[in-house]
Amino acid sequence: MRLTSAILELDWQEVEARTKRFISDYLEKAKAKGILVSLSGGLDSCTVAALSALAVGGAKVLGLILPEEETYSKRDIQHAKLLAEKFQFEIQQCDITPTLKALYHTIPVFDHSEKVCKGNLKARTRIIYVYYYANKFNLIVCGSSDKSEVMMGYFTKWGDVAADIHPVMDLYKTQVRKLAQQVGVPQEIIAKPSTPALWPGQLAETELGIKYDQLDLMLYGLEHFMHPEEIATQLRVKETLVENVKKRWLDMEHKRQMILTTKLEYRTVGWDFRLPRSFAKL
Amino acid sequence: MKDTVTVALAQMSCRRGDKPENLKKMKTLIIQAKKESAELIVFPELSLTGYVVKDQIYELAENIPGSSTTIIEALAKENKIHVVFGMPELSEKTHATIYNTSVLVGPKGLIGTYRKMYLPTHSVFEEKRYFRQGYQTATFNTELGKIGLIICYDIFFPEVARLTRLEGAQLIVCISASPGVRKAFFETLTMARAMENTAFLAYVNLVGVEDGLQFWGGSRLVGPNGKVLAQAKYDEEDLVVDSFSYSDIRPVEAFVPTLKDLRPELFDELKKMAQKL
Repeated sequence: MRLTSAILELDWQEVEARTKRFISDYLEKAKAKGILVSLSGGLDSCTVAALSALAVGGAKVLGLILPEEETYSKRDIQHAKLLAEKFQFEIQQCDITPTLKALYHTIPVFDHSEKVCKGNLKARTRIIYVYYYANKFNLIVCGSSDKSEVMMGYFTKWGDVAADIHPVMDLYKTQVRKLAQQVGVPQEIIAKPSTPALWPGQLAETELGIKYDQLDLMLYGLEHFMHPEEIATQLRVKETLVENVKKRWLDMEHKRQMILTTKLEYRTVGWDFRLPRSFAKL
Repeated sequence: MKDTVTVALAQMSCRRGDKPENLKKMKTLIIQAKKESAELIVFPELSLTGYVVKDQIYELAENIPGSSTTIIEALAKENKIHVVFGMPELSEKTHATIYNTSVLVGPKGLIGTYRKMYLPTHSVFEEKRYFRQGYQTATFNTELGKIGLIICYDIFFPEVARLTRLEGAQLIVCISASPGVRKAFFETLTMARAMENTAFLAYVNLVGVEDGLQFWGGSRLVGPNGKVLAQAKYDEEDLVVDSFSYSDIRPVEAFVPTLKDLRPELFDELKKMAQKL
């Protein structure tokens, strides 16, 4: 297997069709009124919002913009608005700063200097807003996590990853970019560097310590059972870099399978209590 | 034996776990197919229940004959049509031994069943967890000629279709629940199985989305030379009716005589080597 960007190519028209079908089918079976996307103005959420609007019509999509003062980005909000205008869906904006400040003040052990804890608090606070809107208006929450983030565990447990469905979770970041082009997400959004926006100046590639172009090929190789040594040789990088990616890839499974209990009884959730996700008679 | 047969490929989506609803849909399709002069209608694998039912299979499986086959028998009789459909079959000797079964019913009642021999248990599939494998191929003499039954993943193992052909089947019916990522395999293998056996092959796949798995449809009738004679839409429900003539096998069999040229002695070697894999 040759690890070049060509290996990540798919039939993007087919991927678009399947992703839209997945969204519309889920919405129909759930008998909900529409789709809610937490819209950061970044690549992933804009792609998912565009796909949702194309799948079920913009009238059934709500984009929720949830800025806060420390990471406030006028450009991201403009991008979210630009996308909403192009794909004809409604947006609402809630400034979550007062809620965050209330949390900072009421958590006795809160420490501003612990940026990961604080950042995760922001991600989880956003989800409180998201699910309030979803409950109130009977909407399905459409998440926008991609496979690169999920395999690296680069997300907040019970935070940004919380959603009813994740239409692009089987696509690596560089593949999401291709899908975004296919569905017509504006180029200025596609070209932006990715950021979880949990603290000022945070950039995904800087934090991960690797460019997505290279990371995605490593992850693809690992997914296809390639040995780190072979991946490193092909990508002309140090084997330790691939080993570190693999370690994280393995260590983060606890964030991907979030319900774990010990077996005590006949059928156990997460192990052998296997039921379909169903909206039918079952 | 009849020379020309009209077959309906009934590419349906299922309401999971809802047997009455699926039977209702089958009834509508049977009536429609009959209006279009079909003599045989084929439904997808596990069309009675849907494919992704997991532990609920224990509540859904039925004996054969049983209440669902009785309903299909009545429909076949009323509409003077043959029907092939898929269902989870509960062994009559046990309480939780289930087969993934293809059922063939004619206007005069139940003709026979085939229990899937190759149960995929890899990737997204977990069939061995729930089903016992079948041990015999199945070929039945019918008013529509000799029909061999296979199911989905069986098509990856040429010996299954070959055995039905050697038992005399000239029409091989393959019911399926294949997700989209495997489309290219099935499009190739349906043609290959028809060609190498110089037989007609009717492939009927599920459509719809079940727990995120998207079944691609693309059901087809393939001629003994590998030519696709009729094809249903991709990813949507469809009913395609087409006719074929068994007499078309002769020129193909004379041109590429794969059955005449069979080398049985290789099968012994194949068995030996397979055991040493």
